[in-house]
Amino acid sequence: MRNMENAIEVTNMSKRFKLMFDRPNTLKERIVFFNHEKPEYHQVLQDINLEIKKGESVALIGTNGSGKSTLLKLMTKILYPNKGKIETNGKLTSLLELGAGFHPDFTGRENIYFNASIFGLTKSEIDNRIDSIIDFAELGEFIDNPVRTYSSGMYMRLAFSVAINVDAEILLIDEILGVGDQYFQEKCFKKLEELRDSDKTIVIVSHSLDVVKKLCPRSVWIYKGHLKEDGDSETVIRHYLDRIVEDHKKSKGLVIKKDKYFGDITIDCPQENQTILLNSLSHLFYGWELSETDESIVKVYLDDSYLGDAIRVERDDVTTLLGDQFGGYAANPQPGWKFAVNESALIPGKHELKVQSMDEHGQIIKEKSVHFNCER
Amino acid sequence: MITRLKEIYSYRELLKTSIKKEIRGKYKGSFLGVLWSFINPLLMVLVYAIVFPFIMRSSMPHYLQFLITGIIPWTFFTTTLVQGVGTIKNNAGILKKVYFPREILPLSVSFSGLINFFISCIIIVIFCLFGGLGISWHLIFVPLVGFIQFLFTLGIVMALTAINAYIQDTEYIINFFINMLFYGTPILYPEAQIIDSGAPAFLIIIVKLNPFTHFMRIYRDVFLNHCIPSFSSIAYVAVVAVILVIIGYLIFRKLEKGFAEVL
Repeated sequence: MRNMENAIEVTNMSKRFKLMFDRPNTLKERIVFFNHEKPEYHQVLQDINLEIKKGESVALIGTNGSGKSTLLKLMTKILYPNKGKIETNGKLTSLLELGAGFHPDFTGRENIYFNASIFGLTKSEIDNRIDSIIDFAELGEFIDNPVRTYSSGMYMRLAFSVAINVDAEILLIDEILGVGDQYFQEKCFKKLEELRDSDKTIVIVSHSLDVVKKLCPRSVWIYKGHLKEDGDSETVIRHYLDRIVEDHKKSKGLVIKKDKYFGDITIDCPQENQTILLNSLSHLFYGWELSETDESIVKVYLDDSYLGDAIRVERDDVTTLLGDQFGGYAANPQPGWKFAVNESALIPGKHELKVQSMDEHGQIIKEKSVHFNCER
Repeated sequence: MITRLKEIYSYRELLKTSIKKEIRGKYKGSFLGVLWSFINPLLMVLVYAIVFPFIMRSSMPHYLQFLITGIIPWTFFTTTLVQGVGTIKNNAGILKKVYFPREILPLSVSFSGLINFFISCIIIVIFCLFGGLGISWHLIFVPLVGFIQFLFTLGIVMALTAINAYIQDTEYIINFFINMLFYGTPILYPEAQIIDSGAPAFLIIIVKLNPFTHFMRIYRDVFLNHCIPSFSSIAYVAVVAVILVIIGYLIFRKLEKGFAEVL
């Protein structure tokens, strides 16, 4: 370590994977295919330099296949770099996959001991924590049943509970906030916030940029195996999103033309059964639409009569949350829509607003409608 | 090396639970459970005890005890080896997801073998007591020799399990070698018999160099002959064991970095 203040130091580190289409697994294959083909290499990470200080919370962001998960595995010492160095300082726990090493025939309690010991805890250390682990998992009397009888939610709860209660100084987390129901997710999130505010070092890999923004003040953006940007989360995420949209524009030809597209449309205003006071000249309706094609049109109908096409606008929150959906092609730079209705068109009483997203062939991708009241 | 040992020590709870899992998990679900690790060698003894006196026409006194003192240490070696060779491959799932000192896996298999062996020694003692041979204070050598055999096995297991991750034939090749070694070791027959048999000189040299010939000598001196085992035999197997552990460890260290990629 160059600096003892650092929890993780990555120096000129490169990692590549051997690409083998038919890997020789047996001796025969090894002999027969000896020098058969020159192995090809896939450079996953190139010349990464990174320092993470003790107590920092850092997010690794990047698109699928950018190498961020590999970087996390390298920090865990599951993989080893081809060039350069990765050094860590302090007890390290990684939550790459929850419940790794659970034995289905053993009880929850036994598995706690086994799983916690994988993280390097001794018996007495586990004894001290076991109550808080069981409490956090909220398994009640099920804790003494074999794990194979658990529902998948219970399984994940137990696994997360063990991992989070290990009390490591460095915590590496790979996309795990999809655990259990809404309630438990919030609980996990709170626990992570608590850990962040303590002296723990946290490194998170996540696609959900909202979580990143809330948990980590600092983000590191990995782009095609290179460290593209490192700094304040807000800024890095903004640049990252800009780049997604830009890359998407470049690869526009890649959008697969299909006969039928999937997508979704939402109306944010008006809400169902909302009452609108008619006191201005026009009223603005808005929402968002995302689909596999980015040439979709949003048509607006009021009480079944066609009013016109909505104007498309940028919506950062939608791009952040749903940018990866619909086959990754949903990065429509302008997912939002808005439409201003003249007040003269709205008379007091009940109305129905319907929006349709339509592809370039004029086929409806999705439609939605809401009912609302107008009052003067 | 020292920091490595320290790290393994800090993971001692994992080692302990893995050993337990190894012993308990192996026969989990079967009706007789852990008992199988004792029934297996006993059945093997039974077969040889019935068949061999007729084929070999040997009228050795206490042949049954002679067999048991050979077969139980031998089972310790073979079950540990067979289980150990696959241990990296079989734990691929966990190796790819969590970090822990990888040596824990071969270590826990070997330790569970050693524990099984010590328990099985009770069977030998029972047979000696009821076979009219009795026991003597020389039994105190058993832990020492058992530990040497443990190191010996551990060295081989570390090397082979690491190689097996890359070349999966290893698992099948060793079965052949185990079989060969079985007949090259004085388990079913006394050592003197092969030396007097007029076999080619190179075969006799192989048998004499075979560490298991020396292991058998030591175990039989302790259990059957009630005398202090020959120092040269103990020294020989101890030196071989230490060399094997060092070589095995070096091979393991060299290959372990690629485990997550090749599995």
